[in-house]
Amino acid sequence: MKKKMLCTCMAAAMAVSSLSGFAMTASAEDEAVTLTVLAGQSTTDAGIEDMIDEALAKVYPNITLEWECVDWGNDFQPKMQQYMQSGLPDIMIGKAQDVATYAPQGILAEIDSQYLDAGLDAARENVTIDGKTYGLVYNALYQGVYYNKDMFAENGWEIPKTIDELQAIIDDCKAKGITPFASHMVDTWSIGNVTMQFMMNDVFNNDPTWGDKFRAGEVSFSTDEAAQTAYQYNKLIYDNTYEDTFSLEQTDCDARMVLGEAAMKVSGSWSIQNFLAIDENFNFGIFPFPNQTGDSKLIFEPNITIMTSASTEHQDAVNKVLEVLTTDKDLAVEIYDYTNTAAMLKDVTPTFPNPSQEDIDKYAADGMIVDVTLGNNQLVWGGFQEENAKDIAAWLMGDATFEDALAASDGRVDASSAS
Amino acid sequence: MEKKMFRQYLTLVIPGLIIFTIGIIVPLTLSVRYSVTSWDGMSVEKPFVGLQNYINLFKDKEFLDAFWFTIKFTIGNTIIQNVLALLFAVALDSGIRAQKIYRTALFVPCLISALIVGFVWLKMFSNVLPEINKIFGTKINFLLFGSSETVLGGLLIANNWQWVGYWMLIYLAGLQSVPADLHEAAKVDGANAVQRFFHVTVPMLAPSITICVVGITTGSLKVYDLLVSSTKGGPGRASTSMIYQTYITAINGRQYGYGSAMTVTLVLMLLLVAMLQVNSLRKKEVQM
Repeated sequence: MKKKMLCTCMAAAMAVSSLSGFAMTASAEDEAVTLTVLAGQSTTDAGIEDMIDEALAKVYPNITLEWECVDWGNDFQPKMQQYMQSGLPDIMIGKAQDVATYAPQGILAEIDSQYLDAGLDAARENVTIDGKTYGLVYNALYQGVYYNKDMFAENGWEIPKTIDELQAIIDDCKAKGITPFASHMVDTWSIGNVTMQFMMNDVFNNDPTWGDKFRAGEVSFSTDEAAQTAYQYNKLIYDNTYEDTFSLEQTDCDARMVLGEAAMKVSGSWSIQNFLAIDENFNFGIFPFPNQTGDSKLIFEPNITIMTSASTEHQDAVNKVLEVLTTDKDLAVEIYDYTNTAAMLKDVTPTFPNPSQEDIDKYAADGMIVDVTLGNNQLVWGGFQEENAKDIAAWLMGDATFEDALAASDGRVDASSAS
Repeated sequence: MEKKMFRQYLTLVIPGLIIFTIGIIVPLTLSVRYSVTSWDGMSVEKPFVGLQNYINLFKDKEFLDAFWFTIKFTIGNTIIQNVLALLFAVALDSGIRAQKIYRTALFVPCLISALIVGFVWLKMFSNVLPEINKIFGTKINFLLFGSSETVLGGLLIANNWQWVGYWMLIYLAGLQSVPADLHEAAKVDGANAVQRFFHVTVPMLAPSITICVVGITTGSLKVYDLLVSSTKGGPGRASTSMIYQTYITAINGRQYGYGSAMTVTLVLMLLLVAMLQVNSLRKKEVQM
């Protein structure tokens, strides 16, 4: 009898303790948590925060994201500098190249492999430092020369692989009264962007450590022919674009391209939103800007990259956000379709109509695609590339000589590295 | 009684003094401290470099270009804005019909953020005004922000459009406080309208002129937000002001120490200019 009573008491105690344990777990899970998020967004990204909020609320209604969305190009770095003094947000969304800037400061947390494994391996290399991965790459942009497929077909133009072939198309365009290139140089960032495209194919594809050599004083813009050629391509664009390019914004520029006023545009996937918004039937493709050796590669840029704070007090909640982002495929497709960008998650395929996809697939199949993060890590955007772009603009407008622009880039060598 | 007065005085002064100290004195002191380091704004270390940043400033072509752009912008603004504001004020003070409508129309732009003004004029020069050429078949160059030769003119138009109404109100208040009998006396002495304007109105307006000149000058030396949304300091570097250059150097370029040296230099310059202007203009003010 005593044994029976003892067993009953023990069983009851176990049941009560497990129930109370369950109750404690449940209350911990249900505890309301607010995570702060600094989102450095590209022009394509504004609006995805609502999609993420909605998806998160379905699974973890107790987690709220407090978003601070800023323009990546102008405001992400200043905000990060500010928060490095006052305390980082729990989650930061930037670009893959930001990992090289902030991870060495010891402020980013390593991302758990269970979330990283949901992503493609292709983008992991450039967000990994000393064997630790600090960024979850969510989508990618492709960069190259967008071209009007119908116009190319009507005029019998083939995809150019060399500069001479590109020049032949430019000459034919001019003879037929077509503007060869659409461009919007009022946005100096666009000059910086295309210059890195040129640098990738003429410099970094041949010498991936060119930036390190630049800092070591072994090479310079004033002495390196390949780097100078990359800068000179800006002149090729400038001489063959709209007269009002320094007054033209991206939307107007993309509209002219869609309306058939220009044959090509050196750009990135961020133009697709505009192309399709203006004419959903616009038939466009993409090819890499030709280089001197005829082996240029299409460029892809890991874009939305999620980083987490090493000092967050809500690591569990942060992980749950990462879980939603990496497992909710409907959310992923919704974001890719909205931003018109490529997936960096396994087994997720965007469904938006993208006439340039067949070109991308072809270059991918031939192994002719390269990650621009290599170049952006070698020569950083903030303080270097974007400043060089201003000197290039001054040179194009005749306010400075080519040598001045090269010398200015050389003089900025100390700002060329993130560390 | 004196003690009570002193306590009341302290009660009134201390809150303002605390805010001023936290908002101005502390950041300025920190700026001075950072300006003698090569701090990147992120690292823990702030290596001391002495006056090297200040020496480098005077060899830095980008900073000197920004300095000259700021000076040209300031001179242009100070002259145009004062002259236009005074002329509008005189016109509105002359008893013309519907003056309240004109006054409101001129004043409204200054209620808009300079960021919006920059964006509005970017669209005006790039999209709206060029349509006039299409409609009338003319070839007027409206693309003022698109060339380094015309960008200053474009920015002066935008800035003056925004602020003329504000300064006009100050002149208008000054004009309305000029005693009418002074004009009557001058008239009796045979002075014509122009003579009365230069020998009665302008001297009596001296306090307003001091306020407007100092306000416009210091405001123009600090120009930043207008540039952010219109030219972004371009094309190239053609419209980069000192503040804009300071921002991109300190924040984007991760040269916080060097950027702080630029800030300290600008503050000293602002103080110097304001002091010189106030001293010289005050001497010309008429005491009634």
